[in-house]
Amino acid sequence: MGESLQIALRAIRANKARGALTTLGIIIGIVAVVVTMTAANGLQNKFRESFSSIGTDVVYVSRMPWVIMDDFFLFRNRPNIDLREARALEANLQGKALVNPSIDGGHDVKYGPETMEGVRIIGTTEKQTLIGSAQPEAGRFLNTYEVSAKKNVCVIGTGVKEGLFKGSDPLHKTIKIGRTMFRVIGVMEKQGGSFADGPNFDRQIFVPIGAYVKSFGGHRGERDVNIAVKAPSQEAMADLEYTIIGEMRKIRKLRPAEPDNFSLNKLDTLVGTFNNMMGVLLLVGLLVTSISLFVGAVGVMNIMFVSVTERTREIGIRKAIGATRRSILLQFLFESSVICLLGGAIGIVLAAILTAVINSMLMPASLSIPILVIAVAVSIGVGILAGVAPAFRGARLDPIESLRYE
Amino acid sequence: MPREADPVISTPRPVSGSLSTTLSLRDVVKTYIMGAERVHALNGVSLDVARNEYVAIMGPSGSGKSTLMNVIGCLDVPTSGTYSLEGEEVALMSETQLAEIRNRHIGFVFQTFNLIARASVLHNVELPLIYGGVGRSERRERAEQALRDVGLGDRMKHRPNELSGGQRQRVAIARALVHRPSIILADEPTGNLDTKTGDDIMEMLDGLHAAGQTIILVTHEEYIAERAHRTIRLRDGLIESDQSNGSRARNDARPRVEASGSRGADDGAALETAVR
Repeated sequence: MGESLQIALRAIRANKARGALTTLGIIIGIVAVVVTMTAANGLQNKFRESFSSIGTDVVYVSRMPWVIMDDFFLFRNRPNIDLREARALEANLQGKALVNPSIDGGHDVKYGPETMEGVRIIGTTEKQTLIGSAQPEAGRFLNTYEVSAKKNVCVIGTGVKEGLFKGSDPLHKTIKIGRTMFRVIGVMEKQGGSFADGPNFDRQIFVPIGAYVKSFGGHRGERDVNIAVKAPSQEAMADLEYTIIGEMRKIRKLRPAEPDNFSLNKLDTLVGTFNNMMGVLLLVGLLVTSISLFVGAVGVMNIMFVSVTERTREIGIRKAIGATRRSILLQFLFESSVICLLGGAIGIVLAAILTAVINSMLMPASLSIPILVIAVAVSIGVGILAGVAPAFRGARLDPIESLRYE
Repeated sequence: MPREADPVISTPRPVSGSLSTTLSLRDVVKTYIMGAERVHALNGVSLDVARNEYVAIMGPSGSGKSTLMNVIGCLDVPTSGTYSLEGEEVALMSETQLAEIRNRHIGFVFQTFNLIARASVLHNVELPLIYGGVGRSERRERAEQALRDVGLGDRMKHRPNELSGGQRQRVAIARALVHRPSIILADEPTGNLDTKTGDDIMEMLDGLHAAGQTIILVTHEEYIAERAHRTIRLRDGLIESDQSNGSRARNDARPRVEASGSRGADDGAALETAVR
């Protein structure tokens, strides 16, 4: 085996230019495959980072599901969840779980000359910080009194702080949200970037839910409420979901035959949907990139056929002095594998550089060990596949005929 | 490729086997199918070669000389008949077994040297040992020794194309010798060399024989064949004569060019050699 490898290396070294050109196809193929995998990996990392603040032990009761797979029409006529229903659910789940209603909408925010458009304003309660993982980094969060008295106070995200205050201290300043003035009492800690079109958790403002309804609720005085329900433990989640569905149906007086007209959302559903999507994306990506790898393999096969034909006499000589079919076969298989492995190695280096670029510009992508192992295995596999037919042709040559070959 | 056989000239002279027999062919027939025709390249050849014999095989083109050499060299197997080499029956062996036999028992020296151009001289000589599974250090040592033996100790790292024809043939001899074969099978070893260099190579083969090596020589040249101790002449796939050179009758030698009924690929070379 070691000898065959040496012979193969010698042959490749003897034909440097040709080897380099042949390798190019494999290099491109491997770069494409590796970058596809690291990009998929990066997207997943980004996703996890973006939604980590939601928490896996929280169920959100909303009018709509977060991910609509069916016809949107089916959900359009659902009634809004109003504050009365939210309070009823809170009362019914008393002692079983933590319940926090919230309403949100986009509004323009002004402070002095600075304006931010479409900032997510969330009317919530003091229990918000118990549901999510984010805590204030300066000042404090809303307290019970402010919530029940519907005070015009707010806690801003770091994105809002940067956008409006440009480095000055925002605490106790008064900002204008829509047409109402709110006093800043706290700043939330940074929660990380947004994923695709998903919410940016740093570009939002918390206000007391009563104050929200008062200022932005419109003439009906109520909006579409989301109810966050936090289970006491991860294990209690499944039971809790059943309880919530039962309670909500009771509150809404649904008859047994009627379908739910509300949705339960949780991070798992989102992650599951995302993973399915990523799986399909990765599959399509790999399918497309493996075409380039296939083209590379055809190039290697072609050059190996040329190599076998060119070296017919050499094969004859080797056979005359005792090379078996197997050793000739191995010699050429090694040669094509080494070509592909060289290409793979160069491809991995280039892919690592590209990954670093992606990492610094787009998302947290990294070249993981499993991806490297796959890349190396694929290179060797392609080499063997591309080499099999030419190697067999070489191995089956008749020694007498080959010795006569000019 | 040999052509039609003429059964009229049929004087096979089987030599009885002795204790020191290296190879023994019995009624070897080799038939090729060329298109619709069946061509008998060897028509029933029986032959024994003892250890340390020095045999020349001669014959016109189409006499079956090349085919006989291929059979003796285990590059080809007979259609019928038996061939035992060092007590092993070769005729029924698989291709892989034949490769092993060639590796262990046959040292080829070709007219066109047949060295691997892209490999160093040393690597060329090492090759039979590589295929024979000899370990790295022993292999290196033996290859270097073989090259020193043929006077090329200072050319080991060179490529074959950096050497003269005579030097290349000496590399080929070193490669043939390095695995200590039962037979050196030399096919027109001086055919591509000038007379002086050819003589040097023949000196070397003579020396190897003197040291105990069994040598079979295939040649067109009378003066080359005379160096051997026994000359076997083939004609139309049969052994025409098999004589010890000590008592060889001169009139046995027939003009080569007229001997063959039709022209073969070898004829050009034969003419060229004859003219020279």
